Amino acid sequence: MSVHVKGSQIGAPGDFARLLRARQIAGPETAPGLSVNRAGSLNMAQAAHGTTVIAVKFKGGVLNLADRRATSGGNAILYDEAEKILTLDDSTLIAIAGSYAQAIEAVRYLQHAFKYYARSQLQQMSLEGKLAEVSRVLRGTLPSVLQGIGGFLPLISAYDRRQAAGRIFFYDMMGARFETHEFGAAGSGAERIRGALEYAERRQGPFHEMSLDKALRETLLFLEIAAQLDAATGGLGRVLPLAKTVTAEGVADVSEAKLRSLQEGVLSATGRSG
Amino acid sequence: MAYSPYDWRQTLQEKADYVEDRLRGGSPVIALSCREGVLLLTLRGTQRKLYELYERLAFGGLGNPSDLETIRQTAIDFCHAEGFQRSPEDVSIQRVVGFALSPVLKRGFADPLRAPLVLRGLFAQVGEQATDDLFYKLNYDGEFSLQSRYAGLAGAAAAERQLEETLSERLGAAKSLRRAPGWQKALPPALRAWAVARWQARQEMENSESDENSAGDQASAETLRQPSERECERLLAAELEKGSLEAALLERETARAQRFRLLSEQELAPLLPTQQG
Repeated sequence: MSVHVKGSQIGAPGDFARLLRARQIAGPETAPGLSVNRAGSLNMAQAAHGTTVIAVKFKGGVLNLADRRATSGGNAILYDEAEKILTLDDSTLIAIAGSYAQAIEAVRYLQHAFKYYARSQLQQMSLEGKLAEVSRVLRGTLPSVLQGIGGFLPLISAYDRRQAAGRIFFYDMMGARFETHEFGAAGSGAERIRGALEYAERRQGPFHEMSLDKALRETLLFLEIAAQLDAATGGLGRVLPLAKTVTAEGVADVSEAKLRSLQEGVLSATGRSG
Repeated sequence: MAYSPYDWRQTLQEKADYVEDRLRGGSPVIALSCREGVLLLTLRGTQRKLYELYERLAFGGLGNPSDLETIRQTAIDFCHAEGFQRSPEDVSIQRVVGFALSPVLKRGFADPLRAPLVLRGLFAQVGEQATDDLFYKLNYDGEFSLQSRYAGLAGAAAAERQLEETLSERLGAAKSLRRAPGWQKALPPALRAWAVARWQARQEMENSESDENSAGDQASAETLRQPSERECERLLAAELEKGSLEAALLERETARAQRFRLLSEQELAPLLPTQQG
């Protein structure tokens, strides 16, 4: 008795990649038609370029902040309202740096994969499972990274219900995953502010003890510094950055009003307003 | 031996009888438009009966649990493959029922060599306004029908008719859909309709058992009687003792990533009929 169309029930139940394969739909976890025909190098900085995304813990969860500039061909500004922080589900955020096309496709895939698992299996995918799914997508983009035509790096921020704490993970191009304790940053600007983040943490105490407002003020300043040092990162001056939080209550946007009020403070403190 | 068209008809008839017989004892399922979205409701034993299919779609049904599971998985697979390939907006209830499920059910049912799926399914899609909500009922033979405002499934035809009549009476006329009631207000009428249908289906079962040797006509006239308030209350109390109320909301507007949520016991408790005596 088989009403069921080829299947998701055989093998790994609830596996979205398997469903796509059964229906011959190409997802980002497979890279069809791409063969690596020249020796490339895994230059992460090159692959994940043109942006700054920052994730820091605060008391109660994780804050993500990103500029909104999308660049093309190195120094042309393509778009000033790109959204680089996206919601994967009610307890997971992804911040992306690198090839926007690939990243967005991966996000669509991950959103579907998590929900497909939850809906079909009637239980939430574990945090481990979600992180592994991200690795899988990154492995799928590897051929295009080696050919020099793409690649992206994600920062995953999650609220872990079991530990009752926010957690931040970053990845390398091959899909290896690392957990970071206080903050994470990705993109071309991230390289340049890593030292500043490190310094701030040592001087002011751990981020995870800061209030949201304080964490927000700090990260806005880091973003402004990144914009100053990196042409591919949009600063605070013209377009407001995008900020989201993930806490026990779920994912929330930081309101534009709040960003605007803090923006002025940060800009005037650095003598760059007006 | 030749297999004639007559045999084929006969087989289908027997399959239908077999399925309907097994559906009669099923717990009715109800879906209706309310202000917050679509409210789905049923009473159950231990197994869940109301499910999220996709962003704006939910499913409930009665019948064999493993057959319901088959249909549920098929629908979920279709929704997610389509939603990923195009966009979540393109996954609509009419495509799921009309193209992904109904033809498959029909093929299976019309094939004399295959066992029929024992189920009736109720599919709901929440719209931007209550007037945009859609409800589909899908039968084990692949037939389906579209309704708005509300839809109910019961184990037998007469019970289902009464269920929907009760809903219509208690929820008011169609024009009031623009000011759809809140879910807390819509739940008691739905519970009442559930009880009416359950009572009715049970009468029919009893009658069909005693029908074997008595005249059927009189019995079926008897089944059209509506249960009294008291009978409904008693039935509900007894059923709630054995099982529990399962209700879910498919929310029209939500900040969460999912519109579907099962209503918690705390939310439902104040709306249940108070125990008497």
